[in-house]
Amino acid sequence: MRDDLKVGVFLCECGGNISDVIDLDRVREELDVEFVGQFENLCSLNGRKIIRDAIFDHDLDRVVVAACSPISHEKTFQDYVKPLNPYLMDMANIREQCSWVHDDSKKATNKAITLINASIEKVKQSDAVDPIYCQTPDEVAIIGGGIAGMNAALSLARQGTKVTIIEQSPSIGGHMAKIGKVFSPVKIAEECGMCLLNPILNELVWNNNIEVLTNAKVIEAERRAGTYNLIVEQSPRYVDIEKCIACGKCAQVCEVEVPDDWNDGLSTRKAIYRPFGQSYPESYVIDMENCTKCGECFRECNMKAIKLRGKNERIPLQVGSIIVATGHKLFDMNKRPEYGYTRYDDVITQSELGRITGVNGPTKGKLLKSNGEVPKRVVMIQCVGSRDEKPDGHKYCSKICCTVALKNANIIKHKNPDTDVVVCYTDVRTPGMFEKYYKHTQENEVRFIRGRPGEVVKKGDSFIVRTEDTLKGEFIEIEADMVVLSTAMEPSDGTIEIAEILNIGTTEDGFIKESHPKIKPVTTDVQGVFVCGTAQDPKDITESIMQATASASKVSEYNYGGVEIEPFIAEIDKEKCNLCGDCIQRCKYKAMSIQNDEIYIDPMACTGCGKCLIGCAHKAITVNGNIDEKITATIKGVLSKKQPDERTILVFLDNIGYTAADNIGVNRLSYPESIHIIKVISVNRVRPKHIKYALENGADGVFIGEFPGDLMYDEVERKVQRVKKTLEELNEDPERIAFSKVYIPYFTGLARKLIDFDKQIQELNEAES
Amino acid sequence: MKNVPDSNILLFRSCLVSVEYPGVESSTKFVFDKLGVDYEISEKQTCCTGLGHYSDVFTQIDTSAIGARNFKIAKNLNRPNLVMMCATCYAINKKSVKLLNKNDDLRNEINGLFEDNGLKHLTYEKNDLLPTENIFHVVDILYGKKDEIEKNIKYDLSEYKIATHHGCHYCKVHYEDTIAGFRDPNILDELVEACGCKTIGWYDHKRATCGTGFRQRYSNPDLSFTATADKMNALDEEDVEILIHLCPNCHIQFDRYQHLISKRENKNYKAIHLNIAQFIAIVMGGDFNKVIGVKSHTVPIDSIIKELKEVK
Repeated sequence: MRDDLKVGVFLCECGGNISDVIDLDRVREELDVEFVGQFENLCSLNGRKIIRDAIFDHDLDRVVVAACSPISHEKTFQDYVKPLNPYLMDMANIREQCSWVHDDSKKATNKAITLINASIEKVKQSDAVDPIYCQTPDEVAIIGGGIAGMNAALSLARQGTKVTIIEQSPSIGGHMAKIGKVFSPVKIAEECGMCLLNPILNELVWNNNIEVLTNAKVIEAERRAGTYNLIVEQSPRYVDIEKCIACGKCAQVCEVEVPDDWNDGLSTRKAIYRPFGQSYPESYVIDMENCTKCGECFRECNMKAIKLRGKNERIPLQVGSIIVATGHKLFDMNKRPEYGYTRYDDVITQSELGRITGVNGPTKGKLLKSNGEVPKRVVMIQCVGSRDEKPDGHKYCSKICCTVALKNANIIKHKNPDTDVVVCYTDVRTPGMFEKYYKHTQENEVRFIRGRPGEVVKKGDSFIVRTEDTLKGEFIEIEADMVVLSTAMEPSDGTIEIAEILNIGTTEDGFIKESHPKIKPVTTDVQGVFVCGTAQDPKDITESIMQATASASKVSEYNYGGVEIEPFIAEIDKEKCNLCGDCIQRCKYKAMSIQNDEIYIDPMACTGCGKCLIGCAHKAITVNGNIDEKITATIKGVLSKKQPDERTILVFLDNIGYTAADNIGVNRLSYPESIHIIKVISVNRVRPKHIKYALENGADGVFIGEFPGDLMYDEVERKVQRVKKTLEELNEDPERIAFSKVYIPYFTGLARKLIDFDKQIQELNEAES
Repeated sequence: MKNVPDSNILLFRSCLVSVEYPGVESSTKFVFDKLGVDYEISEKQTCCTGLGHYSDVFTQIDTSAIGARNFKIAKNLNRPNLVMMCATCYAINKKSVKLLNKNDDLRNEINGLFEDNGLKHLTYEKNDLLPTENIFHVVDILYGKKDEIEKNIKYDLSEYKIATHHGCHYCKVHYEDTIAGFRDPNILDELVEACGCKTIGWYDHKRATCGTGFRQRYSNPDLSFTATADKMNALDEEDVEILIHLCPNCHIQFDRYQHLISKRENKNYKAIHLNIAQFIAIVMGGDFNKVIGVKSHTVPIDSIIKELKEVK
């Protein structure tokens, strides 16, 4: 019987922090347990021996440590109770939530006794459970072989981790390969992008820990205990990369000419082609959509590398973690007909200008219009699709377009000083060192007009760019013979697809969402999946590389540290489960799936919130650790010795709310002694029956707090509303229940809410008496 | 695309249509009848207040109160789908529905005014009508019946050079409900195409205002007519013969003032101006006097459409 269990209580004076306010002598007298000990500083190393000896001497089954907050020292005391199972110990927080928030010694002592009794009742319901350790496989899949994916791969490979890069196109390199020139804010000069990219590409090619799959896409993903089983579909290249020596004879004889997408369609390539000079794999590839299968290339190839037949191959891949580096695409210019991009050849994007000014581009680096002449005036239009409130625009700033425009404007000025360059901008955003580059651009006589042009029209041989100069408040028409649009960055199709396949959250703009944008960068809301580069949001090369290395570092944490998980998670009784899948739909943390005809609960994702329990018709799910019983026992413990004139309010908080409540004590604010805070693993675990039990057994009020960022927030709010309604039907006052948002930093607000709620309950009590 | 109804429609009469171009209404009815659209007109319905509202004569409370009254008429007839011939009525009514549903204070105030004045039967309940589901322009309904239009073509107007002018208050006020593009408006172009004709598509100033600007036409005529002239010049450069409208306000600005702007610009603009319903009615064989109402036009329709060629 649980009532017969031998419980030992250890009281900590905390060097006066507790004992100056709480009369521990009286506490000792009031407790009815096997053993009560009192010590000056229980968390010191001496405490370990004291607790352990008492456990042996008194044959204790359970331990309550009445001291500080479990947030501070739960791990310490879980260790000190060895040889007992760590989960057979409970802490009564008589410091942060008692001696530090109450001045009245007598009342504080009463409350301490109540809190300890609640812990005693709770710990009797505890069972021995083992923490779960998860070790994930070391192998990593990196989806996307652009600058971010390549750097993440290199960082991991250098640490000895096996990496597979899965790249959709025929070559790795991404956008940076075609960018032409880059510049860094420190150097006021532009330098060759390919020259910076090439060493990275080379190192990656030579690193034995990296495998590159091009023409490949993830089409399926399944997660099991931290292991991802991916199915990668690789479409055929029709050229054997082992045999091809990239001599190019095949392309010479190919008669098909199609727009070259690497040059943004500004030049043509053959149906058999190499994406660009430094592409990897160093091999040609056939674009089967345009190939006429004439067989000329086949006959020309001395290496016998060409295979005109081939079909998609499915490659299974098992990895422990995934880095999503699927990048961005540029805004669809069909959505801005007013700029005439689709109507006029010399209205181009910055990306196309990068190709035109790139020495490996269609004009070999010469700034030329479609008719072969050098433009006399180039007008750049900023924020095309960015910072745009209309429904088909993006509200966000694409972040790099100002500096890209400055870079390209400078390149034009270097090559053709006589060409006038006008940048029509909304705001020039050049933070930090970039500002110096902005000044440099102005000194290069690039002109800036503040205004977002409304239209580009062709009049005769030149364009008219209509805009308002918003600094002068004038409408102006700028004549130009080349217009360059700074198009918004948006999530690539691959980014959107992979988010769906891996079931990872995205932002309202479709980028991959970080689990917390402020303090949990590169992690996603799915364990073991990380993100870097422009798949996450618009950013430049430097930031992409930083994020790539950060994601590699996060993967290493996983690989080397493993993951320890609290054991209070859901478990399935396979005998009862009929695989209806209701729990999979209910779980907000995406922890459940069907694998091998069984429900599988990912221990790394389950929070033990218990939402799955409610819908399970066959009662096939339990949450480890007797959570329900522990909550009931804690309530019982708080209320067991309640005096008739005493007011008792139960406050249920999870880890976040509890930390906020501790902060009230840490900052020595106060709230009424009636407030008794009960820490729960998830607020959702407080069931209507708990609330009813509390109110029926003497609680005057119940306060439930939840962090609005918790996935279960809405659910809990609705539940509290339902309970209130039921109470009303039972002629109880629903005002005795409160639901409130809690935030860790906003502890003053929580203190005020607790004070207000106590007052409200006091008034209700007075009205009823 | 949003769902477009073809029944339970209250065809909302427009002051400008009735006074200036009654042929737009008769053409709309003619086309709706041909397409099997179930509609009715109510003599109880009043003006949307648009012109007065945009000239600061009517406040939003007046406008929404009148809106609420009109909405009640529609509901009582069991014709909750209001279909407007005028872009002003369209935007005004959509805004009123949005406000009456969302702004509790405004709704309560208006309902209070009804009660104080013995008009309790007009009380508007939240979500009586929904902005997207119940408020339409005629072009929306026609768009929903595009395939039917194709089946009813009698005359071939494909030889004319046709351009479209999309009213601002259809395209640029409630973006979320605009069909076939608001940055690149094309609903009229697509409807003209349904009649077996081609438009010139994009032209300079295609998206620009007609210049009316409600009171601007009278208080700031220079500004107003400069905007119209910009557009007329662009159309003239493209040699446009027929300009298709969806709003009687724009229609007035072009048709009534074309000769004045011609003089001002020293040009000889030739385009005639037809509402899309009139255009479709011509294609379907509507009578020029009884249906199209050509006599109310300032730029004579027969200056361009001299004879009709039957489709083969």
